[in-house]
Amino acid sequence: MAKPKKKVKQPLKKSPVSAENPPNSIFKNSPVYDILHNFEKAPDQWAARYVLVMSAILLRAAIGLGGYSGYNTPPIYGDFEAQRHWMELTISLPVSEWYFFDLQYWGLDYPPLTAYHSYIIGKIGSFINPEWFLLNASRGIENNEVKFFMRLMSMFSELILYIPAVLTLANVMGKKFNLNRMDQIIISLIIINQAHLVLIDHGHFQFNSVMLGFFLYSIIELIKKNYVIASIWFISCINFKQMGLYYSTFIFVFILSQLKGFGQLILIGFTVILTQLTILAPFIRDPKNILQIVYRVFPFNRGLFEDKVANFWCTTNVVVKYREIIEPQNLSKLALITTVASILPINIILFFKLRKAKNVIPGLIYGFAGNSLAFYLFSYQVHEKSILIPLIPSSLMLLFDPSLIDIVQWVNNVGTFSLYPLLKKDDLILQYVVSNFLINWLIGPKLLLQNRGLLWNLIIKGSYFSMLVFHVVDYALPPPARYPDLWVILNIGISFVAFTLFWVWLIYRTFTLKVT
Amino acid sequence: MVGQKVEIPPITVDVKEKPTSDTEKKVKHNNYSLFNIWVISLTLKVLLAVGYHSTDFDVHRNWLAITYNLPLSKWYIEKTSQWTLDYPPYFAYFEWFLSQLTPPIVRSDGCLNIVEKGAYGLPTVYFQRASVIVTEVVLFLALQWYMDASRSHAGSRRAFVAAASLALSPGLLIIDHIHFQYNGMMYGLLVLTIVSAKLEKYLMCGFCFAVLLCFKHIYLYLAPAVFVYLLRAYCLNLSFSSKKSALVNLVGMVRWMNLIKLGSIVVSVFAVAFGPFVYYNEIPDVLARLFPFSRGLTHAYWAPNVWAIYSFFDRLLIQVYNRVPLSQYPLQKVFQFDPNLLKNTKLVNSSTRGIVGDIEFLILPTITPKLTFLLTLFYQVMALIPLFLQPNFRRFVGALTLCGYASFLFGWHVHEKAILIVIFPITFLVGRDKRILGPFNLLVTCGYVSLFPLIFTCNEWLVKVVFTILWYIIFYFNFRKVVKLPKQLEGTGGIILDRVINGYILGLIPVVAVTSLLDIFEHKFEILRKLQFMKLMIYSVYCGIGIISSWNGFSWLYFLDESIWDDEI
Repeated sequence: MAKPKKKVKQPLKKSPVSAENPPNSIFKNSPVYDILHNFEKAPDQWAARYVLVMSAILLRAAIGLGGYSGYNTPPIYGDFEAQRHWMELTISLPVSEWYFFDLQYWGLDYPPLTAYHSYIIGKIGSFINPEWFLLNASRGIENNEVKFFMRLMSMFSELILYIPAVLTLANVMGKKFNLNRMDQIIISLIIINQAHLVLIDHGHFQFNSVMLGFFLYSIIELIKKNYVIASIWFISCINFKQMGLYYSTFIFVFILSQLKGFGQLILIGFTVILTQLTILAPFIRDPKNILQIVYRVFPFNRGLFEDKVANFWCTTNVVVKYREIIEPQNLSKLALITTVASILPINIILFFKLRKAKNVIPGLIYGFAGNSLAFYLFSYQVHEKSILIPLIPSSLMLLFDPSLIDIVQWVNNVGTFSLYPLLKKDDLILQYVVSNFLINWLIGPKLLLQNRGLLWNLIIKGSYFSMLVFHVVDYALPPPARYPDLWVILNIGISFVAFTLFWVWLIYRTFTLKVT
Repeated sequence: MVGQKVEIPPITVDVKEKPTSDTEKKVKHNNYSLFNIWVISLTLKVLLAVGYHSTDFDVHRNWLAITYNLPLSKWYIEKTSQWTLDYPPYFAYFEWFLSQLTPPIVRSDGCLNIVEKGAYGLPTVYFQRASVIVTEVVLFLALQWYMDASRSHAGSRRAFVAAASLALSPGLLIIDHIHFQYNGMMYGLLVLTIVSAKLEKYLMCGFCFAVLLCFKHIYLYLAPAVFVYLLRAYCLNLSFSSKKSALVNLVGMVRWMNLIKLGSIVVSVFAVAFGPFVYYNEIPDVLARLFPFSRGLTHAYWAPNVWAIYSFFDRLLIQVYNRVPLSQYPLQKVFQFDPNLLKNTKLVNSSTRGIVGDIEFLILPTITPKLTFLLTLFYQVMALIPLFLQPNFRRFVGALTLCGYASFLFGWHVHEKAILIVIFPITFLVGRDKRILGPFNLLVTCGYVSLFPLIFTCNEWLVKVVFTILWYIIFYFNFRKVVKLPKQLEGTGGIILDRVINGYILGLIPVVAVTSLLDIFEHKFEILRKLQFMKLMIYSVYCGIGIISSWNGFSWLYFLDESIWDDEI
């Protein structure tokens, strides 16, 4: 396995494409490499993929033994019951009633693709056991069988969309950036097994991986310059969960910067409209339905933020009580203005940079990460779970520059950390600890705590230290009676600072990005 | 690392690599470590802690309670719960030791109450699960020792694959970390026995095995092989000098010093175990608990052995007798059974005829404990003869394997969990010759799949199935890569046999799929509920045939192929 040492000596980030031979893996000394190196030789690499996929299933199955959102908390339960409820209502009611049915009890408030997805799962489930999905009658049903079925379906959805998307993307980008196959597999493993997504989808219970899978397929097509197909994938993404809209400004800017002629623009615009109409087709007979979907999906009357979330509004709300000084309708305008202001600079700079660029991939990834993080930090009605959306493109940075592993894993860790109050409610602390430990240990402390200059050392080690302190405090002391939310506020404070620093760094990288 | 300049993100790994590369050459063949594998498997085990556990959990909890609350003299008498203490004394001491470590939160959780049925919560679960995980370290250390003991690069690679396959064994995951038992520690002791035999540390070998026996007496089945090996390799010296008289020769044949050393070690191990009970005059109670002769030939779920096949044929013949015209007379003539029994529909339909006194077989002749004992003994003695003639390490492990096979296939009231007693020793031999790989693959797949019915909860279904498949994919390829090829080329016969074995192993997939589908649709279709027993029967018959075939294949190599068993590498 003697590889030429010379090539590796130069920092990877400066010239990722130049090396003719694939560079030595930077993961060489990490445990994940130690585990997988038995499959290093070319004829065995396919086995490594199977190992990767199956161990991912295993992790999810094991996490799934734990609690889920809303377990044993009548009358309203939680996200698990919401998803199950949508399944029962979609299979029992005509399409026209889907978005109107009993809105107080988990009324459907995700776009149509989620509804169709629920419909399919509901059909499969009630074929196995009709009692799981009886309208109204099975509200709050809690038994091992239905839990396992739902878990299996979320795994299945991830297995069909998200995991193949990551593997394909690793392959596509790996070829462009000269990553050897082993690194592609290792990076895919790191992306697939990030604690936040696993915990939210297979612990807390949601189907984020479907939306993220659509998004990744869209990126793959963007890289291949198939903008028409990319837009179909992307419209599917936002039609599964409206949170996908965090990516929308940048995909627009990106496609605009890449267009070669006006005809192409028309074609893409036409594709977008046609896709959207196809998805809405069953509702289209009655405009009332469409309006209701829009009304349900974009709840502008819900408030500036949901629960506690580590974004700008919620964190600064500790000091400035926005809701007391500003009218509710103005709040959304304020959020809109701030968001637009926050994303404008990087979109403009990327637009001009990418127009000239041959290798657009780093810009593409920075753009998605920067935009979606800005949306998370500044937009209206953000959930804590929305952090998944900026984290996925951020992780993709590894595929063009694996040496960023410490920064990428750091922001992923902060992301999982910001979900801690939610996971604690769901009784998933054990799973939280184990999955965090697993992913970080696989990469290894040598890589995660590598020396990156004073500033970065301060940021990364400082935030790890404060997270550690937070957990000690949270474990050992009850919050003071006067401020029962104090620990949660501490959590979002730490996360917010880290996210903001990462965002500033993304902007910095965007500005200094050298296009080739 | 610290002294480097700011700004340039260095590829630290590369900088670090240089100094190690020199030292690497020296320890080149010794750099395999199980540590990473241990950590990976640890995370999975911790996650499984909150999942399903069987009544064995309450059994061990009850033992904690007994040893904690009662004086030693009462340990083997106490019977408030039906889960009485029925393991040998070291295990009881071990439970006592664990019970001393219980933190207050566990004590107040009902963990240490002697009650009929345990009422406990999460703290008890975490405590007991943690005790399994921690004591399993014995296994990992023993396997690491085994790997470090190999002399060549290729040898240590083989040792690594074998050790890793045992460390990650789906059997241990299912039995210890889902079902709940302490096999990790037990098999750790067995591995210590094997490794010390490899290193010719005979006293250590005897000591470890004696300790193991006093932990769990199921290993008595392996005792003949250990006994003969230690006797022949350490205590006897079969050189005959014609110059000396017959008596001198006879006395000289025994290495008295060695015999005394080994004997005193073994006796003192047993004395520590049973001494206190001799003092309290408790030995009859202890023995009555250790060897209960009130159980049936087969367990409710037939372990995949010869008796499973035998029971299956009995059921088959009942159906033939009842349905095929003209078959009644010849069947009656051949088997000489009592036809009145077959008219008793309740008896015919009962699925678990497994308590002594019950009639287990309606057409085929009844099997007595004596018969099973004689069969086991016969096959064990057969395995011991080559060991006596050629007392080297390979023969020893081969004999251990065959003793395990004999006890599993012919023993009385065998549990499916006992398959590990075969899998552990044979794994130490696989690397030796490619031809062992066939029987090995058949054994591990059928053996591990036969454990599936043990875990019947749906949540763990995915874990056990995916883990087993994953394990098999990993080790199927890795064993193939590292095994030694036999000197003479394989004929087409060998290749065809390989294909057949692989086909049979793939046949397990439909077995698992069909039985799982039957499970899923059970409450939908009334008929399927009647097939409850059928599912278990499919498992035990299919796996039983596989395991018996693997035994045949292995015995063939053991008795008829000399080249595998020479100790030269």
